Amino acid sequence: MQASANNLNNTSITDHLVSRCKKGDTLAFRELYNAYSAAMYNICLRMTGNPADAEDTLQEAFMQVFKNIERLENAGSVTAWIKRIVVNHCLSHLRRKKVYFEEVDNIDVEEETIVDESDFAWTVAAIKEAIHVLPHGYRTVLNLYIFEEYSHKEIASMLDISESTVKTQYMRAKDKVRQIIKQRKSIR
Amino acid sequence: MSESSFEDFVRQHRQEFEAPGPGPRVWANLEQQLNPPRKNRVIQMIGRHWLKAAAILVLLVNSVMIYQFLQMKQSQHLINVAPEMQEAKMYYTSQIEQRLETIKKYPNSVLGLDSVGRKELELRNETYQMLEAELVQNPGNERIKAAMVRYYQMKLDLLDKILEELREKQPVSQKQSNYEREI
Repeated sequence: MQASANNLNNTSITDHLVSRCKKGDTLAFRELYNAYSAAMYNICLRMTGNPADAEDTLQEAFMQVFKNIERLENAGSVTAWIKRIVVNHCLSHLRRKKVYFEEVDNIDVEEETIVDESDFAWTVAAIKEAIHVLPHGYRTVLNLYIFEEYSHKEIASMLDISESTVKTQYMRAKDKVRQIIKQRKSIR
Repeated sequence: MSESSFEDFVRQHRQEFEAPGPGPRVWANLEQQLNPPRKNRVIQMIGRHWLKAAAILVLLVNSVMIYQFLQMKQSQHLINVAPEMQEAKMYYTSQIEQRLETIKKYPNSVLGLDSVGRKELELRNETYQMLEAELVQNPGNERIKAAMVRYYQMKLDLLDKILEELREKQPVSQKQSNYEREI
């Protein structure tokens, strides 16, 4: 996504493309879709957990992008704007699936445990697999923070929970990932 | 798990976490939503305004039927059915009308014809109308065409004879005589 966004951002091409989209040019919609669909699909895939739901959510989100693009005042922020619409659709999809992001009561923000991981061999496949089996709540917070690069504060606002709950959920999610990877290694 | 191990690893291998893009059906569905088929729009419009659509349809059908009826009537006119007869008709009609005009100038006492007799002298009498109707019904019938020409000639002969007798009885005014001499 960043590659596509960097190519488009800060150029008159973005302004021109957004301007054409605002006029209802179908070809411009196609160009916008081509530039962002892969990155946005990956967000949907990480958040929903399966390709079919990811495609449905992506389609809904892009339809909203096309319908509301005339409201976009600053063409330079088109990447963040589209990404936010996509994330919101993903969160709506999770809420429809009865995934709740609840406040963690009476728990102080956990101090990060220092763990000696010098002999811990991280792999992309192992992390992906571990994230995939995380409970929806943990997975959402972890994805939004580590992959979509939102701050704890932004995530708290999106999920309508406190920032401290986000931090707690994130640390628990990380710990869970490590445990899952260890467990699977020991089984193998 | 330290911040430097997990987060750093993910950031360093960020691109490897990316899957290929969505399948083609996503854009296909979006495109369909962006450009719904025109036919559907028309059907939806008709659905919404069916009463107006029905009224417009009735008016259109009526207009077409009236147009076709007028076309049919026009095509049944003699000039379309038998153009060569139209030429003969024009010639004989002018000749007959001139003689009738002259005859009409004689007073009834000299003419000696009752109203039935006068009507029979008119060009468009029953015999003529019957022949013309027959010709329209049977445009290629040569016998009817010949009968019409005979009818014109007989009528012309008859009028000439009447005029001859009238002139013997009572010459018309000077102006009229000059006119007749001219023709």
